[in-house]
Amino acid sequence: MAENNPYPGENNTGHFWDDNLRELTNPPPRWWMIAFWASVAWWVLYAILYPMWPALPGHNVDGKEFTPGILGWTSIKEYKKGVEQVEAVRAQYDKQIAGMTAEQIIQDPGLLQYTLASSKVLFGDHCAACHGSGGQGNPGYPVLADDDWLYGGTLAKITESITNGRKGAMTAHVNILSDAEIDQLANFVAGMSQGGKGSEADWALFNAKGCVACHGPKATGVIAELPNGEIVTVGAANLTDSIWRFRPGGYESAKHTITYGVNQPGVAQTRNAVMPSFAQQGKLEGRLTPEQIKMLTVYVHELGGGK
Amino acid sequence: MEATADRLAEQKYSFDVVRWFTIMAVVYLVVGATVGVYIASELAWPFLNFDTPYISFGRLRPLHTNAVIFAFGGCVLMGTAFYTVQRTCGVKLWSEKLAWYTFWGWNLVIVLAVLTLPLGLTQSKEYAELEWPIDILIAAVWLAFTFNFIMTIAIRKTSHIYVSNWFFLGMMIMIVYLHVVNSLAIPVGLFKSYSLFSGVQDAMIQWWWGHNAVGFYLTAGFLGIMYYFVPKQANRPVYSYRLSVIHFWALMFGYVWLGAHHLQYTALPDWTGSLGAAVSLAMIIPSWGGAVNGMMTLSGAWDKLRTDYVLRFLIIALAFYAMSTFEGPVMSLKTVNALSHYTDWTIGHVHSGALGWVAGISIGAIYHLMTRLWHTEMWSESLVNVHFWTATIGTVIYVVAMWVSGIMQGLMWRAYDEYGTLAYTFVESVAAMHPYYAMRAVGGGIFLLGAIIMLFNILMTVRKSALQGSLREARGTLTPAAA
Amino acid sequence: MSDSNNASNGLQAWLERNIWGLVIALAIVLSVGGIVEIVPLFYLKGTEEATRFPQIVWDKAGKEPIVAVTYEHDAKGKIKRDEAGDPVVVEMKENWVAGDGVRPYTALELAGRDVYQREGCYLCHSQMVRPFRDERERYGHYSLASESMFDHPFQWGSKRTGPDLARVGGKYSDQWQRQHLTNPRSVVPESVMPSYPWLAKREISAKRMQRHMRGLRAIGVPYSDADIEAADGLLAGKTEMDATIAYLQVLGTMAKLEPGVDYRQ
Ligand code: HEC
Ligand code: HEC
Ligand code: HEC
Ligand code: HEM
Ligand code: HEM
Ligand SMILES: [Ca+2]
Ligand SMILES: [Ca+2]
Ligand SMILES: [Cu+2]
Repeated sequence: MAENNPYPGENNTGHFWDDNLRELTNPPPRWWMIAFWASVAWWVLYAILYPMWPALPGHNVDGKEFTPGILGWTSIKEYKKGVEQVEAVRAQYDKQIAGMTAEQIIQDPGLLQYTLASSKVLFGDHCAACHGSGGQGNPGYPVLADDDWLYGGTLAKITESITNGRKGAMTAHVNILSDAEIDQLANFVAGMSQGGKGSEADWALFNAKGCVACHGPKATGVIAELPNGEIVTVGAANLTDSIWRFRPGGYESAKHTITYGVNQPGVAQTRNAVMPSFAQQGKLEGRLTPEQIKMLTVYVHELGGGK
Repeated sequence: MEATADRLAEQKYSFDVVRWFTIMAVVYLVVGATVGVYIASELAWPFLNFDTPYISFGRLRPLHTNAVIFAFGGCVLMGTAFYTVQRTCGVKLWSEKLAWYTFWGWNLVIVLAVLTLPLGLTQSKEYAELEWPIDILIAAVWLAFTFNFIMTIAIRKTSHIYVSNWFFLGMMIMIVYLHVVNSLAIPVGLFKSYSLFSGVQDAMIQWWWGHNAVGFYLTAGFLGIMYYFVPKQANRPVYSYRLSVIHFWALMFGYVWLGAHHLQYTALPDWTGSLGAAVSLAMIIPSWGGAVNGMMTLSGAWDKLRTDYVLRFLIIALAFYAMSTFEGPVMSLKTVNALSHYTDWTIGHVHSGALGWVAGISIGAIYHLMTRLWHTEMWSESLVNVHFWTATIGTVIYVVAMWVSGIMQGLMWRAYDEYGTLAYTFVESVAAMHPYYAMRAVGGGIFLLGAIIMLFNILMTVRKSALQGSLREARGTLTPAAA
Repeated sequence: MSDSNNASNGLQAWLERNIWGLVIALAIVLSVGGIVEIVPLFYLKGTEEATRFPQIVWDKAGKEPIVAVTYEHDAKGKIKRDEAGDPVVVEMKENWVAGDGVRPYTALELAGRDVYQREGCYLCHSQMVRPFRDERERYGHYSLASESMFDHPFQWGSKRTGPDLARVGGKYSDQWQRQHLTNPRSVVPESVMPSYPWLAKREISAKRMQRHMRGLRAIGVPYSDADIEAADGLLAGKTEMDATIAYLQVLGTMAKLEPGVDYRQ
């Protein structure tokens, strides 16, 4: 064969293709062969250490359906270890928080700092999508960073909002009031947001048509003030300030709300105002633990407008 | 001497279909890269979605992957396979008709993909998005391609089957398996079907397909290209026959197991993920077998790299191949995958393989083919040089941007502060990606520029060949007998 | 390998000269890995957690309709329809509540899932919470295999350009979802998600969804006849937006998972 070799002196295999394609008889590099066998050994080693081979149908390996590996590693064990590690770091705070009220947390500078720092992401991942990353609100979602509250800015009320969620309701007045009445009320509300006080006729209509039942005698959203200072609301907006629950606010916006109401089933154009519940819902585990809700309560309270 | 051989080849073999595949490959590279740059820009500047269904990110992304993998990659594979199998077997294609059917069938698949994907007609399995009627067409075309290839080898004049053909053959058979099993679905309309499998089993089958679309289609097939074009372009013998044998069988046997590394820590049982991870790491060396064999083929001819840009493309592709087949196994390790999975790191890895290796080796092969198939020099050598630098720089910018963003993303998601609570919100990680997404769009843009230059250069070369009549001359003037 | 000039010998040399031998050898070698990794997932009982924890799966699936819809019928026994062509519904009764266990998707949810696939949401959103501490805090309990047992095809995804959605159900209100899908940046300024305003403009055909449900039933998803019949009422007047929201709102709410339990071996 060597005599026929058109490439004299070359250690080719003696096969030629397409004129000049040929292969040399060089052995693979030594390091490569060593590494190759090491790779095979690696596979074997890994199979000894970690779960690897599935059992044949109807068979078990030590009561398992696959070879478990001598390290006893499982993804769930690794997971639990990771959880334990962070929980150990948090334990000193969490234990205290579990036994304290939100008021007490605010009184304790160390815990307060912990609570605010660790609620930032909690708020960012669960609440910011609606209420904005700094609680500044979004169209349709209330501002949490001011001191205007639908349900009250006390710690108890905030906890209640997060725990149970909220679903304010306002009747649609499209079939209850005449166009003229709706118009008058919308003007009345829009005027008050700019400092107007409303005429006597306005107030009469407001009382007569039942707005007062929810928005309170002064249209501030407060129905009554209890002797202990707590307020009673049904979540109706304060109509006397310049803060609008539904943007952009003003006459048109108020007219829309009065006409179609809030959260009215079957009314296509009704305002939507649903805050999900973060505690256990029916059978399902809550998205947040009671401790996390407590921390968020403090966080929201400290955003600016807590009472 | 070289030119004479090519004239002989021109008369002996069927190259028309190869010429068409070659041109279309470059056209599709430009199309695929353009869509790539567009979706990259959408992630950086989301207004580019223009609230239009047909160009929204979720619909264009499959168009991008299908265009680069199946349109560009497919045309390269089919063109080069038909070319090398003839030249290394010393016979004309077993059936030229079947080859044309393959060409038109494949292009029909591509046209249907371009029409259906933006319409949202998809099976939503990555890289297997095309709906069932197109899947059937793909199967019919692929089997014709495979059969023609096998039959051409069966009627060969050479005693042995050349190494390129082993790799092509491995790819073809594996793709038959993968495509048939992963596409099993129940049609519920002309353009809607549901996978026959569900949940975990469907996930495993999908990633058995997904990884091996990478391992066989984008790797084994392109190694077949490498084994022909590197020794040809360098005019050197393949460094080690025995190395080819060992790494070929190791890849064929081993790569198939890797799919599970896409599913580590998911709801699959632990054994599956470990098995995928173990074999993945063991695949560095078999993969490097190809890189070593290709690079060492240049031993004694390294100086050629200084002048030969085609060879440069081929060799830098091998460097990227070695890099991404090291990176991939590292990403398969449990601890690394825990960080890298779901992040842009995967995207960086994909494109170091796709731009660096797949596109690199293809571009090198195509430039090699241009002069042989049109029997003339490139219209502009210096534009090939410009292309080399744009492709390399664009790829490096892309890949570096994604490494940084991917690792940052992974670290931000899992970062804890000193209190043991999460340090960043998800949206903060989204915002942090912006500069890197912009950088990727720029890198991709540079790569695209190179591809456009290439298209221009090859079209001008075809024109030049037509003006000179070189192809006609090669076909007619010199008969085999006269040589 | 003793003869350095003839490196190929034995089987390899034979394969290099016999194309059909090479084809068969490759066909065998290429099949091993896939068989070992895929086939056991069909027969190993432990793969689905429901084997050990049957309560994860709704035991009435296929026996009782998920939502029982009672229609008004005309004299000929046909469902009565209004001018819009929608069926006249007398009553809708939900037999399943969140936490009752994994069940097939209702016609409306399935329509939403079709949209989810069509729009390529899975390319940016995973639906697979891994057992990691940070994912638990961000997304909730790690995902179980049985939770996607009716998912043809699975939607676990491979990229998180946006957050995981496996447990997004109930996290936001329907209204928020609507606002967000219509224009994500109106609620999340940093978002890079596309807007999907067109979803609100397209209605869903009940006939078509019934065909889809029958297809799924043919491959093993337990739909009862009543489930398929309910599509008419459930989809009346609904847009793709409603459907997408219904789908998102059910994600992760099916199985009730106990915190202390190890669901995986
Ligand atoms: C799907 C959107 C959404 C999400 C998520 C959300 N909220 Fe709300 N939230 C609302 C809406 C809407 C209201 C107003 C409800 C109403 O008008 O009845 C509200 C009301 C509130 C209130 C009462 C405000 C007042 O003026 O009395 C508090 C406090 C609050 N949310 C805190 C939170 C916190 C803390 C989180 C995260 C754990 C959160 N919200 C998540 C939508 C949301
Ligand atoms: C059943 C209780 C109820 C009644 C009756 C009611 N409201 Fe309301 N109203 C509400 C609630 C609750 C809200 C706030 C909704 C929210 O934020 O979720 C509201 C909000 C409003 C707003 C929107 C304010 C803003 O800032 O955007 C206007 C305007 C308004 N009400 C006017 C009226 C008028 C005028 C009437 C009488 C015709 C009336 N409401 C009757 C409960 C009621
Ligand atoms: C280009 C990538 C992209 C696509 C495509 C995409 N999204 Fe998103 N998605 C995001 C990003 C980024 C976020 C996080 C920021 C935000 O909330 O908008 C997100 C957030 C979400 C959220 C809120 C999740 C949470 O827990 O806060 C939901 C729900 C959602 N997307 C649903 C969808 C649906 C349904 C589709 C398809 C119709 C879709 N997405 C398509 C990128 C995308
Ligand atoms: C100009 C060049 C290119 C640009 C700018 C580009 C850009 C992109 C972008 C933005 C994505 C989506 C990433 C994400 O979802 O975050 C993507 C995905 C992808 N691209 Fe490219 N691309 C280019 C070229 C190519 C080429 C040439 C190939 C293959 C040969 C390729 C193969 C892929 C694949 C396989 C994916 C999917 C990755 C995955 O699912 O993990 N790309 N590309
Ligand atoms: C031995 C070689 C290789 C190994 C072990 C490997 C491993 C991996 C791993 C671990 C991932 C990420 C999976 C995840 O976390 O989701 C991945 C993704 C990917 N790799 Fe590789 N890789 C290899 C070579 C290559 C090459 C050469 C290419 C060439 C193009 C490539 C293309 C891809 C693509 C397209 C994806 C994205 C899949 C998806 O859509 O998620 N890989 N690879
Ligand atoms: Ca398909
Ligand atoms: Ca992917
Ligand atoms: Cu892979």
